[in-house]
Amino acid sequence: MPIKNTKNSLFLPNFCDLKMVFAVVIIGELLAFILTLAPLSIEQQRWNDLALISLFIQWNGLLGSSSLCILRPFFVNYSNQFVATASYLVLLLVIIFVSELSFFIIDYYQLGLIIPSTTHWEFLLHNLLIGSIISALALRYFYIQHQWRMKVQMQSKTKLQLLQARIRPHFLFNSMNTIASLTRTKPQDAERITEDLAELFRMLLKEQKELIPWSEELTLSKRYLDIEKQRLRERLSVEWSIENIPDEMMVPALLLQPLLENAIFHGIEPEINGGIINIKGEFVHKQLILSIENNNSKNPAHRKGNKMALDNIRERLEVFYQGRASINCEEINGVFLTVLKLPYLHDSESSL
Amino acid sequence: MKIIIVDDEPLARERLALLIAEINDQYIIDFAGNGLQAIEQFNKSSADIILMDIRMPGMDGLEAARHLSDLDNPPAIIFTTAFDEYALDAFKSEAVDYLLKPMRKELLEKALKKCSKLNKLQLEQLALRSEETYIRTHIAAQIRGNILLIATADIACFLADHKYTTVQYYKNNIIKETIIEDTLKSLEQEFAEDFLRIHRNALIKKQKIESLEKKQDGGVFVHLKNMPGGIEVSRRHVAELRRCLKN
Repeated sequence: MPIKNTKNSLFLPNFCDLKMVFAVVIIGELLAFILTLAPLSIEQQRWNDLALISLFIQWNGLLGSSSLCILRPFFVNYSNQFVATASYLVLLLVIIFVSELSFFIIDYYQLGLIIPSTTHWEFLLHNLLIGSIISALALRYFYIQHQWRMKVQMQSKTKLQLLQARIRPHFLFNSMNTIASLTRTKPQDAERITEDLAELFRMLLKEQKELIPWSEELTLSKRYLDIEKQRLRERLSVEWSIENIPDEMMVPALLLQPLLENAIFHGIEPEINGGIINIKGEFVHKQLILSIENNNSKNPAHRKGNKMALDNIRERLEVFYQGRASINCEEINGVFLTVLKLPYLHDSESSL
Repeated sequence: MKIIIVDDEPLARERLALLIAEINDQYIIDFAGNGLQAIEQFNKSSADIILMDIRMPGMDGLEAARHLSDLDNPPAIIFTTAFDEYALDAFKSEAVDYLLKPMRKELLEKALKKCSKLNKLQLEQLALRSEETYIRTHIAAQIRGNILLIATADIACFLADHKYTTVQYYKNNIIKETIIEDTLKSLEQEFAEDFLRIHRNALIKKQKIESLEKKQDGGVFVHLKNMPGGIEVSRRHVAELRRCLKN
């Protein structure tokens, strides 16, 4: 199925590039050397062989890369899997075409002496076999190189961006303002919020690799909601219903907080009368199932989501659970529902 | 000197009020929890300065400021925000007064002393540059120094004659009419999603269309809900209107 491929993530290098054409010529020539040197028996006419093999390989290489160059704008719209299969087939077709053409020329001009003792089919099969191995190796190489490049790109995302994906600067400055206000009127509340904020940020500034016990994650989420409650007062109501989740179950630190922050940003803040956030958690079949439900504002101006937070959570789930955990969001009749499923991990597994 | 503090967070309002009282206890302070309340408050008893938060439920600060600036004698507006990358850039380039929360008393004092009135152009620029594509929730009309706010949900159509634009809106299901300052062209751009141009001088709300009537001379008229008389549809807009009705 065609999947939209963003321009940068096409794994094939650009064969229209002059440098790439040069590389294809050089690699083709090296291959010709290998093929010439490979036979064990010593023959007199190695230079002749090299010339013929080179000619054949260069035709294949150049025709193959120009086909891929022409197909490139078309490939951009498809998934890498599709592109890999398609380019492999294209390369094989080119080999068949060139082989047939050379055999025809040899036959027509009766140059049979050049390639002694081969039938048409032997010749074609021979070329196709070598070609299919070399093409597969080349495509595999391009794919790995592409993967490596993507990884480097991912890693070069700055720490700050990661931090912002997990917490909105809005939250930090609003909390500071809350503290500034409370310092005069209710110093004790101000003190408590400062402590809550310190705890949250201590956890945030740790490495993202951290796993913590569920009980601790729950406490952190409640601390976060306490801070927001001071700011939003009666507009924010939270209903918890957590059942038989083992306290010692290990979960990625601060996985919940960005979800709660999203719920407040989209469900509570845009509404004059606020709203309710429903958090339900249960432990079924060795799996934690957590759902967060909030009204989604009808006001279109506030609908623009923070996809960053969700993307970040997905990435972290992949790192910790390799596909065994999931997060799903859906909106039904103005109610926004997020469901998080995590498999049970205990303490000894947490040192992944 | 009278000041209205507009913020949806009670603690933020409290702190601002404390700071202002410390700067000068002669200032009279009023409060509002969002843009709509701010305008209500202003209509009740006008103010010299409005300290306006940006992100608020109901009606946000930028929109409220736009409505207020339509007045002949608008108040000075100082925006307050905790964090708003987009808005901040815009404020700087449009030379609009703004304060960052939590704010310092010295800066607030300075701002109160030298704050300037915003002009319409500045505010329109702000709206254009703000984070979301900007569509007002209300249309404002000025009546004897007060602002009359009409929710866009209540509007049936905008009509223009050579000099004025009028808005026809429902109040308790009865059509009312008032003159506004916007041009039909700018309204058409802003509300393109919900309104449809049917004539050089008419922009109607798609949702309120009741029926089409074809006159014997070939002219087409559209009838809106609860609205006496039809509005003429110009020939080149008939096809588009029919297409819209089908959906």
